[in-house]
Amino acid sequence: MQPENKHTISVLVSNHFGVLAKVSGMFSARGFNINSLCVGETENPEVSRMTVVVRGDHSVLAQLIQQLNKLVDVIEIQDLTQESFVERELVMIKVNAGQEQRGAVIEVASIFRAKIVDVGQHCMTIEVTGAEGKIRACIDMMRAFGIAELVRSGEIAISRAAK
Amino acid sequence: MATVKAAARHPLAGQKMRGADMVIQVVVDEGVDTIFGYSGGAILPTYDGIFKYNERNAAQKLNLIVPANEQGAGFMAAGYSRVTGKVGVALVTSGPGATNCVTPVRDAMADSIPLIVICGQVPRAAVGTDAFQEAPVFSIMSACAKHVFLIQNEQELEATVRTAFHIARSGRPGPVVIDLPKDVQNWEGVFTGEGHLSMPGYEQRLKQLRDSRMTKEKAAAFFEFVKNAQRPLVYAGGGVINANASAELREFVKTFQIPAVTTLMGIGSLDTTDDLCLHMLGMHGTAYANYAVEDCDLLIAVGARFDDRVAGVPRQFAANAKILHLDIDAAEIGKVKPVDWHHVGDAAVSLRDLLTHGKGVKTDFKAWTSQLMKLKAAHKMNYNRNGEIIQPQQVMEMINEITKGEAIYTTGVGQHQMFAAQFIDFKQPRMWLTSGSMGTMGYGLPAAIGAQVGCPDKIVIDVDGDGSIRMNLGEMETCTTYNLPVKILLLNNLGDGMVVQWQTLFFESRFSGTDKSLHKKDFVKSAEADGFEFARRVEKESDLRKTLEEFIAAKGPAFLEVMTDKNAFVYPMVGPGMSYKDMITGPYIEAREAKANGGDEKLETTAAF
Repeated sequence: MQPENKHTISVLVSNHFGVLAKVSGMFSARGFNINSLCVGETENPEVSRMTVVVRGDHSVLAQLIQQLNKLVDVIEIQDLTQESFVERELVMIKVNAGQEQRGAVIEVASIFRAKIVDVGQHCMTIEVTGAEGKIRACIDMMRAFGIAELVRSGEIAISRAAK
Repeated sequence: MATVKAAARHPLAGQKMRGADMVIQVVVDEGVDTIFGYSGGAILPTYDGIFKYNERNAAQKLNLIVPANEQGAGFMAAGYSRVTGKVGVALVTSGPGATNCVTPVRDAMADSIPLIVICGQVPRAAVGTDAFQEAPVFSIMSACAKHVFLIQNEQELEATVRTAFHIARSGRPGPVVIDLPKDVQNWEGVFTGEGHLSMPGYEQRLKQLRDSRMTKEKAAAFFEFVKNAQRPLVYAGGGVINANASAELREFVKTFQIPAVTTLMGIGSLDTTDDLCLHMLGMHGTAYANYAVEDCDLLIAVGARFDDRVAGVPRQFAANAKILHLDIDAAEIGKVKPVDWHHVGDAAVSLRDLLTHGKGVKTDFKAWTSQLMKLKAAHKMNYNRNGEIIQPQQVMEMINEITKGEAIYTTGVGQHQMFAAQFIDFKQPRMWLTSGSMGTMGYGLPAAIGAQVGCPDKIVIDVDGDGSIRMNLGEMETCTTYNLPVKILLLNNLGDGMVVQWQTLFFESRFSGTDKSLHKKDFVKSAEADGFEFARRVEKESDLRKTLEEFIAAKGPAFLEVMTDKNAFVYPMVGPGMSYKDMITGPYIEAREAKANGGDEKLETTAAF
């Protein structure tokens, strides 16, 4: 058995009605497990970019790419894992923090270069951006204060400029 | 292509017309002469469009065949498509009309049949409001069609219909669904007579496919495998038929004297009466075809996909062979089994290129072919020839002697389907129509109707089972309504034979839900009620041949029910999750090794089952 690696795939698709339904429908019909899927318009309003994060061995990934390639709306597929790329995810965490914990939360947040985006009597909301490892570390630290709510954008990624 | 189009301006270009009329005009422009479909509220304007088109074009009317159920329309369009090679068109209403087409759409996807299903939809303003006869057709069909369009912008209507045809027939063919809101059908606009939607990715991949011609080096590598082989075998699938590559495959087999097996879908790609054709492989393939797969040292797959009915245990399938794979779909290469050489491209073009580059390649596989001829003789298809009740295989053998490889056959799904596949000869492609991948019971009758419409001068025979025919029995009347001379041959063994066979082998003969001996239907009376002038039943073997001859010779629609032995099982059988070496040949076909014989032995149940 090959190891189940994390793969980040970037898919350019026509910015049409229902494209997301077709792509996600193909994933579920063929039993691919997707960690996250993000979609948004690109610099060209007719084209959207999807960032798909999937775990699986090489053959699962190859089959996923081939099946994506058969969708009429798919324009181009890039397996970013094959090259150098930048990945980011945005997470907002509502932390239980009254007056006495605020300082501690701000301190931890600053270590992760997170921003405080909202504050109330009993809680604070912080916004943290980064790659998977940093996000995980930040969430783990915030658990100590007690997390009331958490929302993740899913990962987006872009290839690095050629040297 | 654009310049050619500009030169030949559409005679109706610039005219104002309704969306509905544009749809019909584009359908006709795409070469369609028949629409199969059922009207209803949300598709009324387009049906009106057919009526008006036929008023204007009395000399060359658009044929309309109305089924009993929209599922029938879908399978008729599929049958029409399979025999003609053209795109079949079904036109149905919203909601239930569309959902009744889900089965034929998925069936066409699984067997790669080019189909257009145009579904009426509630007006755009009502979409999503749970309106009367509304169904989420776009989402439902997205999961099972090659592509789906929901027309949101009426200005794109004309180009969308044209594009749908292009998608259905290009690359690996498949069904395309158009979800067509009623207000778009009623909208009036200017017909341009040209234009497609932009599909940059899809077009780029098609171009790649066209440009990826076999290089001299790649062909040389292919022939290196051939020259190093002692026992090569071609494994041809439905892709050969879809690509109209039958002539090329025949020439390839003949030139290099390489014997061949075909899949269920590939039957007819080679002349089944040819010595080098070993007929069907797989779960119910001929013993000699499966032995050939076991023995070969080189397997050349063409338009076939190693599905589970062929390669139940991929690792053990053709275990001693190098595998070469030609397919139009890159996703099929290595999907099931790793290959030693492959080429992605159109089968006809690729085989032609191989023939060109292979000129002068000398092969000598006489020892292998004569060994196979011996296997073919020693392990030929056989059945209980001393049964008291008529054996279904005997009926197939007899009708085959009458039609001699020249008739079109359709089937339902189950034992009768396998008997027909095993015993009937086909000299040409596009004459064997069966639901291969989806295994849809009820396929046979509507497919036969579509085939007869597509080939009015051919004999079209629906070999059906008593379970399968019930699924779309309403279409019996469609045969007589349109006076289509379809021949329906019902093999009635009072039950769902294939399931009974599995229950016998794997469930200790607990016949849960499959015994139909208490069912009361008199099929002959039913046929008579539907207006069949020829409607008969045969119960005695002595009546069989004469009745079959009269049945085939009958003018107009004909129905014949033959009561057959429910104990006649389909053999050979490679059980689910088993490899070819575990093939059971049953009590009447000689097995190569003595162990795998005897009629009533139980197959082992495996995890895969």
